[in-house]
Amino acid sequence: MSELTTGKFSMAISDLENVQLTINNIVGAIEKEADEIDVEMGPTVKPGVSSLRDWDHNILDRYNPVYTPMCDQCCYCTFGPCDLSGNKEGACGINLEGHNAREFMLRVITGAAAHSGHGRHLLHHLIGLYGKDHPLDVGATNIIAPNVQLVTGVSPKTLGDLDSVLSYVEEQITQLLAAVHVGQEGAAIDFESKALHGGMIDHVGMEISDIAQISCLDFPKSDEEAPLADIGMGCLDSSKPTLIVIGHNVAAVTDIIDYMEDKGLNDKIELGGLCCTALDMTRYKTGDRTLPRAKVVGTLAKELKTIRSGIPDVIIVDEQCIRADVLKEASKLMIPVITTNDKVMYGLKDRSNDSIEDILEDLTTGKEKGALMFDYEKLGELAPRLTMMMSEIRKQKGIKRLPTDEELKELADSCVHCLKCEVACPNSLPISEAMTALSEGDLSNFELLHDKCIACGRCEYACPKDIDIVNVIEKSSQRVISEEVGKVRVGRGPISDPEIREEGVNLVLGTTPGIVALVGCSNYPDGTKDLFTIADEMLRRSYIVVVSGCSAMDLGMYKGEDGMTLYEKYPSRFKSGGLLNTGSCVSNAHITGAVIKVASIFAQKNISGNYEEIADYTLNRVGAVGVAWGAYSQKAASIGTGCSRLGIPVILGPHGSKYRRALIAKPYEEEKWKVYDARNGSEMQIPAAPDYLLTTAETVEEMMPMLAKSCIRPSDNNMGRMIKLTHYIELSQKYLGIMPEDWHKFVRTETDLPLAKREKLLKILEKEHGWEIDWKRKKILSGPAMKSDVSAQPTNLKRLCKEA
Amino acid sequence: MVDVIKNTQIHCTYGCKSSKAVQPDVAGKMISKAKRPLFIVGSQILKDEELLKRSIEIAKKADLPVAATGHSMSGLVDQGINAKYINVHALATYLCDPNWTGLDGNGQYDTIVVLGHFKYYIDQVLSGLKSFSKIKSIAIEREYIQNATMSFGNITPAVHIEALDELIENL
Repeated sequence: MSELTTGKFSMAISDLENVQLTINNIVGAIEKEADEIDVEMGPTVKPGVSSLRDWDHNILDRYNPVYTPMCDQCCYCTFGPCDLSGNKEGACGINLEGHNAREFMLRVITGAAAHSGHGRHLLHHLIGLYGKDHPLDVGATNIIAPNVQLVTGVSPKTLGDLDSVLSYVEEQITQLLAAVHVGQEGAAIDFESKALHGGMIDHVGMEISDIAQISCLDFPKSDEEAPLADIGMGCLDSSKPTLIVIGHNVAAVTDIIDYMEDKGLNDKIELGGLCCTALDMTRYKTGDRTLPRAKVVGTLAKELKTIRSGIPDVIIVDEQCIRADVLKEASKLMIPVITTNDKVMYGLKDRSNDSIEDILEDLTTGKEKGALMFDYEKLGELAPRLTMMMSEIRKQKGIKRLPTDEELKELADSCVHCLKCEVACPNSLPISEAMTALSEGDLSNFELLHDKCIACGRCEYACPKDIDIVNVIEKSSQRVISEEVGKVRVGRGPISDPEIREEGVNLVLGTTPGIVALVGCSNYPDGTKDLFTIADEMLRRSYIVVVSGCSAMDLGMYKGEDGMTLYEKYPSRFKSGGLLNTGSCVSNAHITGAVIKVASIFAQKNISGNYEEIADYTLNRVGAVGVAWGAYSQKAASIGTGCSRLGIPVILGPHGSKYRRALIAKPYEEEKWKVYDARNGSEMQIPAAPDYLLTTAETVEEMMPMLAKSCIRPSDNNMGRMIKLTHYIELSQKYLGIMPEDWHKFVRTETDLPLAKREKLLKILEKEHGWEIDWKRKKILSGPAMKSDVSAQPTNLKRLCKEA
Repeated sequence: MVDVIKNTQIHCTYGCKSSKAVQPDVAGKMISKAKRPLFIVGSQILKDEELLKRSIEIAKKADLPVAATGHSMSGLVDQGINAKYINVHALATYLCDPNWTGLDGNGQYDTIVVLGHFKYYIDQVLSGLKSFSKIKSIAIEREYIQNATMSFGNITPAVHIEALDELIENL
């Protein structure tokens, strides 16, 4: 019998005998079920909104939601606006807590929708090009999609398999969104549970997006030696025609890269990207480690500055993290903008069905400011040709970019120092002082501000003298900008199974002190260098540092004393002291994926549809912490919340407080720091770490010891605890100038104490904490609140315990 | 004449309840009067020697226990004040918990004074206290802090230092 797989098929039925017709999806589903019948399934395959509610309530009991509302009223419906201040109830009965929990959930599912909407677009595009049966290949791994498998029980093998999983994701987001409606959920705690559900779903959506593009677009596949790409505003050769792409979805850009390659334009046109599209452009066709065709200009914070520089001759935008005023700003400098995705269209005419010549005519003459183009093949030819033409035209017209030196001085002189710009500035930057210095010919203040300025432009609206302050900053900083040249490791994709096999044991026992994941956007409190400082410090201490998205970019902007970026200095392997860039925003799924794989590969846990048990394992045994130092977006909220449900703590920079909800535990509530020992169901005391699942830190210096503490887990063996405690104490002393107040609470036995300081610390324990010490044997006789027992199996879940 | 403005309540995009603007002498007296005050000092004091000096002076003169947030602790050690490091977001959480016994174990606080913070950060953190606690918060920053109970306005660094001096006189 011949077998037909999916796809179109037609035949004439005449004179046939014994014909059996079966429809593909039915056959496919049955065959698949037969294939997977042997696969062990956990209790929550494709969990609905309430399926993991018990787990959520379990963690929320210790990690309490903390609300810091931006606004104390609610204006969701026509009853309002309702004054909810002091936690009053509004007309519908919801109180401030409930409303804020709802808003947070909305933030999370907005982020999840952005990622999965991106995934849907990409998947649709790739299935159109490669077919549903195109195999998934992400490198050396048996677990192609750990998040997908953990949540849905599905082990996807083809693009088509992802399609049905994505439908599940979309259904969940719709169900969650429905709960936002007035008159639905009323309890804050269940909005929290829904938010956690949305965060978990987000990681599934991200994973689908990234494994689809890795499998189809010849991205590096779990590659430890992915090439390096150029990064920085200074790396663009502005003498060449320049094409800049902004956004997150590489689908539209691949045709451009192919066209440029075919026509030999790679050396003739500068192709640069801003935000995650840039990262994914560098991943395109670099699976064989050839150098990327595109350059990374930078993050969202560089968008306005790049446009205002006048360097781009054409701008392409796709979706997510694109300034809403790109068209307006670009038009001022005669830069045509092409929109390529239905999420961002800027009111432009759809030219998908028009001839390239017609579009070129309209854009080069300035008849139209831009075009909407859904035909990517056409875009592939249009964009490079338009870039070449616009470059000539813009040169001839002498498009005025930034102010001249004389104009700069005049602008500075016109400042009346009313400080309105500083009040408007999200970082309260000292602009007025810098204007005074500039008037006197001193550029240095603005040069310092340049890196701290996120180029949002709020200052310009505040200025009563209409000074284009962003331009002033940019013009004053030309020297610094020209030196902004760095290297970023091209996104490697997932962590391979062999890497996990080797490193898993070290992570669970603590001898590798932890995973620090630097993720998220570029809304930093004090400039981009913070990221370098964090990574440099933690890598020196042999933590595994994993990065993605905008953080991966900014990290590459700095060089150490040896003249090398951290990417050049540290191996891109998942091991102690390794620095790995997984890729773009959707590649964050590989970070949670790695943690899931530790449970699967090292601990031999079934992960299919077994979310609760794996999250419990992570929370109690895998020392990992996420840092979203410049998180600004709803996507960052959903990524972080997905980590929360999986038991990974996340620290945000101070701007992260504007998400208005944290999950913070109280170390002084002793009854909250007990878990079960799965061997016999007895209760065991655990240390108060991590003492948050989502929180903020004020400065990088404050965060350093927090990071070390956040990696402490009940499963640490003595060597592991000693290493982690050493870092905790040292980092606190280095950055805060003190011993941490609570260090002794992490000591179970003398062998947990840092070797070099053991005697000194024993003395402190005896003197300040009243512990009993046997000085002859240098042993602790009494004092610690918990026992050291490396074979204990800490769990929050009674159901996993063997009865005593 | 009819009074049409007597009961005006202004709702803005930030909500219904905003801090009262306060002068330094009044703030100083209020701090002195508090039964269980806590001085929350942020890391921005390290950026200005004058600010650091006055932070220490305030703590000393009013005998205030200090919660050193961020990495402000590195400027406050060995200064003869009672300062302890704590994360400000966690601190605000504990301050909303009636069962918390404070940094010294002697019980919850009734008044907090904040200085040396990022404007947007402390404002956000204080919104939790404003909404979910009865604690009075006095912001003596150089920016208006909307979610405090009372706050200085937006002032220049020089005026700020002057204001702090005046506040110290009134402790």
